[in-house]
Amino acid sequence: MRPGIYRAAAALLLAALLSACAGPPRLPLNKLSEAKPGETIVVGRVEIVPPLAENEQKLTVGSGYLKDQLILITSDKFRRLTAEPTPGEYTGRIEARLDKDFTVRSSNKPFYILAGGIMTNGEDGQMAWFPGGLEVPIRPGDKAIYIGTLRYYRNEFMDVKKTVLVDDYARANAEFKKTYGARYSLRKALVRPVR
Amino acid sequence: MRYRKLFYACLASVTLLSGCASSSPPRDLDDPTNSLYFGHIDMSDAPGGVNAADVEQIAPPTKFPYWKPGLRKGLFCLAILPPGSYQVTDFSGGDMVYDFPRQGNPTSVRIRKPGIYFVGSYKYVPVKTGFFEGAKFAIKRVNKPTEAELLRRILEYPDIQKSAWKKKIEARLAHLRQ
Repeated sequence: MRPGIYRAAAALLLAALLSACAGPPRLPLNKLSEAKPGETIVVGRVEIVPPLAENEQKLTVGSGYLKDQLILITSDKFRRLTAEPTPGEYTGRIEARLDKDFTVRSSNKPFYILAGGIMTNGEDGQMAWFPGGLEVPIRPGDKAIYIGTLRYYRNEFMDVKKTVLVDDYARANAEFKKTYGARYSLRKALVRPVR
Repeated sequence: MRYRKLFYACLASVTLLSGCASSSPPRDLDDPTNSLYFGHIDMSDAPGGVNAADVEQIAPPTKFPYWKPGLRKGLFCLAILPPGSYQVTDFSGGDMVYDFPRQGNPTSVRIRKPGIYFVGSYKYVPVKTGFFEGAKFAIKRVNKPTEAELLRRILEYPDIQKSAWKKKIEARLAHLRQ
């Protein structure tokens, strides 16, 4: 928790870390030709139940782009996050628009989802955090994979009640082919909890 | 949002000394659907002290979600809350505002039926940070003052003495003594 006198600084810091200090997110795929050799396309989705209501994200001009977005903090090495991520830990994040498939370019190595975060207050940079601890099991040679839908159930106070992994492969694969062409099929590679 | 809060802060300041009824929007202190929401915050170690607070109505959604609790010597209370979900969002003093998070906020309560809801006693604890880092703080739950001690203080408020709350609070105190 921070005293409000630091709100502007905190909001600026967050904007800065998400744009510069933090390093880039995993880039969204616009056209199939953007994917380079040695990259794997990762497709998935995040949902919040019940969905966010209009007043649940109090965003400012600088943080408006985080509306209806959940940031997945990722890493090549697994660890349990015990505190809010440092700026460096935002590098390689997945910027997932809620209730929409994300399609991002990744290295062809497995990686881990450490946590998910939604900005609840842009004035002071407050985030609500959602559990991770998941492995994205990319295999050598994977061109494109589907990792599933992460569905977080929460209450009105943003306390997470349960996390469910939904396999919506048939729909996701059909949409992927419709958007990017039939050259690749998604391999089903659902995220799995790290024990 | 802050302007709306400011508006209600001004509105509430008129009645702030009247105990637990001060709030927005106005409601009858004897409305049978009222609940009493109260707790204590010890801000003696905070740079600006504390002289105001906000309680946000999380649910049901409303255009005017901020309620202004009465606040005296750390005791914050609202005796006119309709059923809904609430939490303290901030305390303020001087030019400082101390924000509470939406998630994991210990003052969160879901009121389904009218009653007396004690959300705890807390103490402000400064958290050491680096030279270039902004100030941080933690709110630690403490055992004192107890629910009974706070209810006895609320009973002393003149508006409470004259309201239906007097009997309800006395009944609660009797229950706590058992």
